[in-house]
Amino acid sequence: MKGTRAALLVTLVPALAAGACSYFDETEPYRPPAYYGTPDAEAMALGRRLYQRDCSFCHGNEAQGTSQGPDLVTGENGPALTDFMLRTGRMPIGDPDDPTRPGDSTYDDEEVAALVGYVDEEFDQPGPDIPEVEATGDLAEGHDVYQEQCAACHATTGIGGAMLAQRDEAETAGIVIPDFAASGPTEVGEAIRTGPGAMPVFGPGVVNDDELDAVARYVEYLKDPDDRGGAPIGRIGPVAEGAVGWVLGLGILLVFIRWVGTKRGEQG
Amino acid sequence: MNRGRGPILAAFAASMLASVGLTVVYALGGDPQLEGALLGVALGGIAVALVLFAHRMLPGGQFVEPRDVVPRATAQRPGVAAAFESGAEPIERRRIIAAAFGASLALLGVAALFPIRSLGTRPGRTLDRTEWRRGRRAVTDAGRPLRLDDLELNSVVTVFPEAHEDAADSQTLLIRLPAGVRAPGPRDWSVSGVVAFSKICTHAGCPVGLYQAETQELFCPCHQSTFSVPQGAKPTFGPATRPLPQLPIGLDDDGYVIALSDYTEPVGPGFWNRPDD
Amino acid sequence: MIRRLARWIDDRIGGSAFAEQALSKVFPDHWSFMLGEIALYSFIVLVVTGIFLSFFFDPSVAETTYQGAYEPLQGATMSEAYRSVVELSYDVRAGLVMRQAHHWAAIVFIASLVVHLLRVFFTGAFRRPREMNWIVGLTLLILAFFNGFTGYSLPDDLLSGTGLRIAYSIALSIPVVGSWVAFLIFGGEFPAHEIIPRLFVTHILIVPGAIAALIGVHLALIWRQKHTDFAGPGRRESNVVGPVLWPTYAAYSVGLFFAVFAVIMTMGGLVQINPVWLYGPFHVAEVPSPAQPDWWLGWVEGAMRIFPPWEARAFGYEIPNPFYPGVLVPGVTFAALYLWPFLEARFTGDRGPHHLLERARDHPVRTAFGVTALSFFVLLQLAASNDLAANWLYASVATVSWTFRIVVPVVPPILGYLTYRLMTALQASGADRFAEVPLRAVLRPAGDGANGAGVGRLERVGPVETADRGKLGVDGAELTVYPEADGRWRWSYDRPADDFKLHSNKSYVTADLAQQSALQAYPETPLSESS
Repeated sequence: MKGTRAALLVTLVPALAAGACSYFDETEPYRPPAYYGTPDAEAMALGRRLYQRDCSFCHGNEAQGTSQGPDLVTGENGPALTDFMLRTGRMPIGDPDDPTRPGDSTYDDEEVAALVGYVDEEFDQPGPDIPEVEATGDLAEGHDVYQEQCAACHATTGIGGAMLAQRDEAETAGIVIPDFAASGPTEVGEAIRTGPGAMPVFGPGVVNDDELDAVARYVEYLKDPDDRGGAPIGRIGPVAEGAVGWVLGLGILLVFIRWVGTKRGEQG
Repeated sequence: MNRGRGPILAAFAASMLASVGLTVVYALGGDPQLEGALLGVALGGIAVALVLFAHRMLPGGQFVEPRDVVPRATAQRPGVAAAFESGAEPIERRRIIAAAFGASLALLGVAALFPIRSLGTRPGRTLDRTEWRRGRRAVTDAGRPLRLDDLELNSVVTVFPEAHEDAADSQTLLIRLPAGVRAPGPRDWSVSGVVAFSKICTHAGCPVGLYQAETQELFCPCHQSTFSVPQGAKPTFGPATRPLPQLPIGLDDDGYVIALSDYTEPVGPGFWNRPDD
Repeated sequence: MIRRLARWIDDRIGGSAFAEQALSKVFPDHWSFMLGEIALYSFIVLVVTGIFLSFFFDPSVAETTYQGAYEPLQGATMSEAYRSVVELSYDVRAGLVMRQAHHWAAIVFIASLVVHLLRVFFTGAFRRPREMNWIVGLTLLILAFFNGFTGYSLPDDLLSGTGLRIAYSIALSIPVVGSWVAFLIFGGEFPAHEIIPRLFVTHILIVPGAIAALIGVHLALIWRQKHTDFAGPGRRESNVVGPVLWPTYAAYSVGLFFAVFAVIMTMGGLVQINPVWLYGPFHVAEVPSPAQPDWWLGWVEGAMRIFPPWEARAFGYEIPNPFYPGVLVPGVTFAALYLWPFLEARFTGDRGPHHLLERARDHPVRTAFGVTALSFFVLLQLAASNDLAANWLYASVATVSWTFRIVVPVVPPILGYLTYRLMTALQASGADRFAEVPLRAVLRPAGDGANGAGVGRLERVGPVETADRGKLGVDGAELTVYPEADGRWRWSYDRPADDFKLHSNKSYVTADLAQQSALQAYPETPLSESS
């Protein structure tokens, strides 16, 4: 029976642990933004100080860009993009060759507001303002738009994905498409309107403001969707289901038949 | 021996309780997780009880039975051969009749294959063409036509020919390239940095739904074929062998994006007699 | 009461002889012989849950608007098929458990089929006289693959619809007839409207009917030929040892049925599978990511992902890229599997019947081939998750894919060779367990080979030292015929040296019949003087 007991432990303990772990996933508590207007003198001073200290080395003293980092005065650069980069912790980045990754923000709300206001005022950025996203739109409309515009990259279940970027003939880098754990409704709106990093831009001509609000609501839903069927096992799809089917399903049954039947040389 | 009886009865009892529980849960409206757990106990209890019973109280594996398959069976083979041959003899004598039977079965068989043709339409030239025509507007899935200023720089949108929004083979990506990136393909096939390519992957037909905006590459999630838009949607990684076909586009008098013609080559994956450029 | 019913039937069709033989039939009860039963009972669960589902599924692609309980789909347009599945999951009591159990049952069904195939392969159970059953079993596996694919494509969701598109493209890639094959199966250019109803008929009628019939053939052959068994005490090519069907093996088997049912239904309620409401309905220009098929097609998907961008084109015709990984790889695989018993018989020169199984080490070449093939498919399976791996490892999909492109052709043959060396070392060392084999024996070739193929540690008939050489046979045992209380006769196989005893599975009317049976089971063992 020793073999049976060992087999039981080997299949059940990891399975139970995995199941237990998935119930303890925690997402960061969401900090709603203050909708920044024109910065006052104090904010400008704070922003200038922070910019010189943390940003100018890569983005240049006049935000004109350097060999280390892009400029902040063309394209979609504006309050929305700056706010997105800072609040999702993508910027500042230690090594400019690293891909941007969401994480804890380096700054608190006051510092973010100061930087956003300073960079926009000082360098006259062309890009959109921070959108006001309340995420109260129609959930079904949000699902519709999400399937059309977002699901291919961010996954129908919102877990993110992977794709490639060919920097030049020789080098092909990997792009990790993030899930939504680090983003609240405002960040979703900012990302949609400014297309940060590898993400394309979705302007009002393609996703209007109502649709954007609806998508933000659906994205919020995807952070904790209805798992009516039971343990979601990562919401990855058939790969996880196959693994669980083998380990848990067939695994338990293998333990069972070891118990029922004899081993070689044994007599029942 | 009543000694080993306890766990067996306990297992049956657990099963019975679970079955009753199931009826209660069901009557109260049902709940998948409770139903699953209770079914597990109801069925598993019987399973465990039966095996415990067999192990503890039924005779085990100490029986032996002879195998008798082949040697005895071959002894009767001459009889089988004799029975078959005596029956086949009158048939073998009538060769023409036998041949006619064979021929009628064969021809009937051939005729019976023809209904298979009713299963589908003739491929014909269907695969070589889509629903795009000269002057047809590019519309979204919802039927809305697009102007240039609907498209931001470095944005992508899926379009269909007007009035054919459900034509799967016509799905097309309108891509507005960022400033500084030259539009690929013939000069008159793009307008103001907006180009159009077929969305159907030339490998196995999935919609090429991912767009990498930093390097303007299209990425197919199915088998990771990567197409570089500035290089004319040429495949740069993955199993795809051909670029995505480009759709010639322009603007009509009202400023809406229109096709200038159908694709000049078949869209999507290859097939045996796909015409080459 | 059962006795009365049995007598009533027997008065009308006879068959007592068969019934007696059936009730006392011996079934070897090694645990690995129950893998096929797991498959069989999973199939029964599939049929039972499937019948329930078929009452609710609407195999139609007609467009409709969802008005059910799941809010994010309110007012969305979708096919009737998709709507019926979402409704079944949300609005029908026990519907979701049945649906999920059905899908988990399919996964367990095919998984157990594969493990069963591996057991049959590595023990050489497919050798004469069981080649037919090997062919039937392989066909069952292919039908199971196919029915699993059609099954999860029925809901017309975005994930499975994408898979259908790929299947269509693979059909298109077939030389000469590809576009006809694709158009006839689908009813026209993708996404033709006929495909879902056709998949439905195939899935619930045609293929399950074929599977049920072939299972019948498979079981009939096992019944007729009797199951194989490992070498062991009292076991010979001429007999089969184990519990009898009634009551013991029946209890085991019914217990296993309930266990399979229990595991599948529990997972059906506790672990979510195929949440189609999250994937959304199939729309032609949308695509999900990640996009993998169910696990049993993972090896084909992996092959399609890592296969280099090669395509053959000449004289205005082409054989497109999906053909090689999508048609050739599975085609060659199954052709090789079908032919294996005949190839092995030819190359080993061993065309005799075998009822005793080999251990992996008893046939190092077969085991090595098996490990090579198995590792090849496992690696392809892993390659199907290259985008997931890239995401988790923060690596580039290209790096992951290139790694697999190198590993997949290179590693399996190396593993096969190492397996060969390990198996021959195991044989030569006579050790029973891997851990007992000295490393030196693995690194050095086995020399003149092991003590004969098929010699395991446990019992072959050969010279045995016993105290009583005169009375007992070369295996140290004797056969005893004895009467029972009801006047019928049984026989037993006795080995006094280790107190080992086996009983005949049934009793006989005369002592002579019992004796005949005993000598049939043990041709080389003498009868005891007391018989």
